[in-house]
Amino acid sequence: MVDRVRAAAGRALARVTGQALGAYQSAVLRIGVAGTWLLFLLREFPHRRELYGPESPWGWDLGRRLIDTNDAFTVLMWSDSAVWFEISYALALAGGLLLLLGWRTRAASVLFMVGVLSLQNRSVFMGDGGDNVIHLMAVYLVFTRCAQVWSLDARRARRGGGPGPGGSTDGAAGPVLWAVLGLVLAYAAVAGHLSAGWAAAFGALWAVQGLWWAVDRSDPQGEARAALDTLANIVHNAALLVIMAEVCLIYATAGWYKVQGSRWQDGTALYYPLGLDYFTPWPDLSGLLAGSGTLVMLLSYGTVVVQVAFPFTLLNRRVKNVLLAVMMLEHAGIAVLLGLPFFSMAMIAADAVFLPTGFLVRAGGWAAASAARLRLRRRSQGKAGAEAGPTLPQPGAGSARAAGAGREACVVAVPGAGAGGAGPAGGGRAEGEAGAGWEVGSAEAAGAGPQAGVGAVPGAGAEPGAGAGAGAGAGAGAGAGAGHGPDAEVGRADGAGAAHGPDDGAGEVRVPPPAGPVDQARPATS
Amino acid sequence: MDSNDPEGTVPGPRPVGVAGLSTPYRVLVALALGAVAVAACWHLALVFLHVAPSNTLSKRHARTIDDWIYPEFEQNWKLFAPNPLQQNVAVQVRAQVRDGAGGLVTTGWRDLTAQDTDAIRHNPLPSHTRQNELRRAWDFYTSSHDEEEKANGERGALSEAYLQRIAVRRLAGTYGGGDLLRIQLRGATTALPAPAWSTEQTDTATYYRELPWWTV
Repeated sequence: MVDRVRAAAGRALARVTGQALGAYQSAVLRIGVAGTWLLFLLREFPHRRELYGPESPWGWDLGRRLIDTNDAFTVLMWSDSAVWFEISYALALAGGLLLLLGWRTRAASVLFMVGVLSLQNRSVFMGDGGDNVIHLMAVYLVFTRCAQVWSLDARRARRGGGPGPGGSTDGAAGPVLWAVLGLVLAYAAVAGHLSAGWAAAFGALWAVQGLWWAVDRSDPQGEARAALDTLANIVHNAALLVIMAEVCLIYATAGWYKVQGSRWQDGTALYYPLGLDYFTPWPDLSGLLAGSGTLVMLLSYGTVVVQVAFPFTLLNRRVKNVLLAVMMLEHAGIAVLLGLPFFSMAMIAADAVFLPTGFLVRAGGWAAASAARLRLRRRSQGKAGAEAGPTLPQPGAGSARAAGAGREACVVAVPGAGAGGAGPAGGGRAEGEAGAGWEVGSAEAAGAGPQAGVGAVPGAGAEPGAGAGAGAGAGAGAGAGAGHGPDAEVGRADGAGAAHGPDDGAGEVRVPPPAGPVDQARPATS
Repeated sequence: MDSNDPEGTVPGPRPVGVAGLSTPYRVLVALALGAVAVAACWHLALVFLHVAPSNTLSKRHARTIDDWIYPEFEQNWKLFAPNPLQQNVAVQVRAQVRDGAGGLVTTGWRDLTAQDTDAIRHNPLPSHTRQNELRRAWDFYTSSHDEEEKANGERGALSEAYLQRIAVRRLAGTYGGGDLLRIQLRGATTALPAPAWSTEQTDTATYYRELPWWTV
C-alpha cells in the first residue's frame, strides 16, 4: 500500500516536473483569447478614442481619480496625450497578433497582458463579462508555455532541432526585443509609473527571460537548462490548473446563483433577456423563441443544469465532452441571439481548454490540410512542371534538420525507458510532426502538388496516422524512428504528402502528432 | 523525490523533469514546486471566496481577500442571476439652452437609450459604446446614490461626472447654435410584460426617476 502510494506520488512528480501538460489545450486557449481580443480591437477601432482615449466620456481625469483609489495597472495613465494613446492601442493590437501567432511568446504574452490591462483598466465601465474573461486569461497565460504547438516559436524550435543556439532562442529578434523591453521597463520604473509590485513582477519576468536565453545559448544540454525547463513546467502546470479551476468557478457561480432565482425556478428566466432592448439585436428571432413557454422552460432549466453540473462532469471524460459541446453551442447561440459575440468567443476559448487532445490534434490537421490545399490550388495554377524540383526533400537541408530532430528525440528516449512507458518517447515525435502539419503542410506541400508520388512514398505513413487517433499508442512506433534523422525526415515528407493528398480524409489524420497529455518531452519553446 | 534514478552518471541525453537533475537542483526544484503549489492554492481559495456569496470565512477575511483580488482579479459571474433583469431602463435627457436671442429654452426629453437600441438592432457585432457605455454608467450611478440622489463618496461623484459627460456628448449638435447651460437626466423604467403563455399579471406602466438639474 505504502509502496503504491509512493509510486503514484513519484509518477505524479515526474509528470508535473517533466512535461508542460496540455500543449494543445494551452495553445488553443492562447489562440482563442488572443484572437477574440484582436477581433474586438479591430471591431472597435473606429470607436477606440471614445472607449479608451481622449474622446471618452470616462475622461482621463476620471480614470485617474478612480485608479488612485484602486491602483489598477494601465500604461494609459502614464500620459494623457493622444499620441501616447494611439501608440498604446497599436501595441495592444500587436500584442494580440503576436500572441495569436506565438511569435516570441514569452515576451508577446507580457505585451498582451499589458495591452489588455491598460485598455480595460483605463475605462472599467466600458467592459462586460467577455472583457472580464480576457482580463483574467491574459494574466494567467503569462505563466503558461502556451506556444508548444501551433506557433511560430514551435516552428523555429523544430527547424533548429530544439534547445540551443540554432533552435528556440535563435535569431536576433529575441535579444533585441528583450533589450527594448528592458529599456521601457527601466524608464517606467525610474519615472515612477510602476507600483513596487508591478516593477518587481515585470523585473522578474525580464530577468528570467535573459537568464533563459543565456543558459540556452551557452549550454543547451546542460543541467541548468534542464532545471529551468523543469521550473517552467511546474509553473505552466500550476497555471493551467488555475485556468481550469477558474472556468469551473465561472460556471459554478453562474449556475449556483441562478438556482436561487425565482425566475430560473419557475422556468421563465430566459424569456426576460429576450425582451431587453440592449440584448435583442434580432427582435423577431428573440420574439419567436420567447413565444414558446415550453421551449423557454426547457432552455432555462437546461442552462442551469449544465452550468451547475459542468465542474463535476470533469470526472467522466465522455460526459464532459458532451457537455462541453452543449456549452459551446449555447455560447454560439448567445453570440447571435443576445448580440454578445465577443463574450461568447471568449467563453468558447476558455471552454476549449477542456477539449480532448485527440480532437484538437485532428482539428489542427484539418486546418493545416485545408490551408495547404488552398495554397496548392493557388500555386499549381499554370506552373505544374516548374515546381517539380523543390518538392522532393532536399538531401542537404533534410539531413541537417533531421540531425536536429534526432538530438531532440534522443533526449526523449531515455525517460521513455525510465518511466516504463512509451508515451514520453512519442513526445519528440509529436513535436516534430505537429510542425509537419502546420508548416510543412503549407511550405513544402504547396510545391509538392504535381508530384503525386510524394504522398505515397514512405510506408511508414500509416503509422503516424494510426497514432494520431490512438494517442500514446504511437509512442512505440514513433520512438523507434525518431532517433534517426532520415526517418524523421520521412515523417515530414509524409506529412507533406498527406496535406496535399487527394481529398480523402485519411491524409488529414496523418498530419499531426500522436499525443496524449504526455506529449511533450522537453519543449524547446519557453 | 525519485531516488532510483542515477544522477549524472548516464552519458548523453538527460531524463526530463526532476529525474535528470543533481541534488542541489532537485532541492531548488522541490522548493519551487512547494512555493508554486501554495501560490496556486492560495489564489484559487481567495478567488472562490470572492465569487461565493458572503459567508463565514469571507466575512472574517474580507480584508485579505479584497487586497488580493482587487483590482486585477475582480470578477462577477452572476450572469442573469439570481434573476434576469425584467425591465427595460431607458435613460433620457433634456437640456436648458440659451438661444441666440438670449432667451432660456428647455428642450424636450431625448431618449439616449433608444439611440443605443437603434444601433444594436440588426447588428451582429454591436459596439461596447452602444451596448455598455450608457447602460453601465446608469448602473454605476444608481449603485452609488441613495433614493434622495445623494452621492455616497468618491464613486458617487465620479458617476455623476461620467453620466453628465455621456449626456453632453450625445446632445452635441442637437440644440442649434445656443449655449448649453444645464441638463437633467431621468431613468424611465418599464417592466417587461408577462409572457403571453403565462397567467401572471405585470404592471407595464413606465416609472421615472428624475435626477436634479446639473450645471454643465
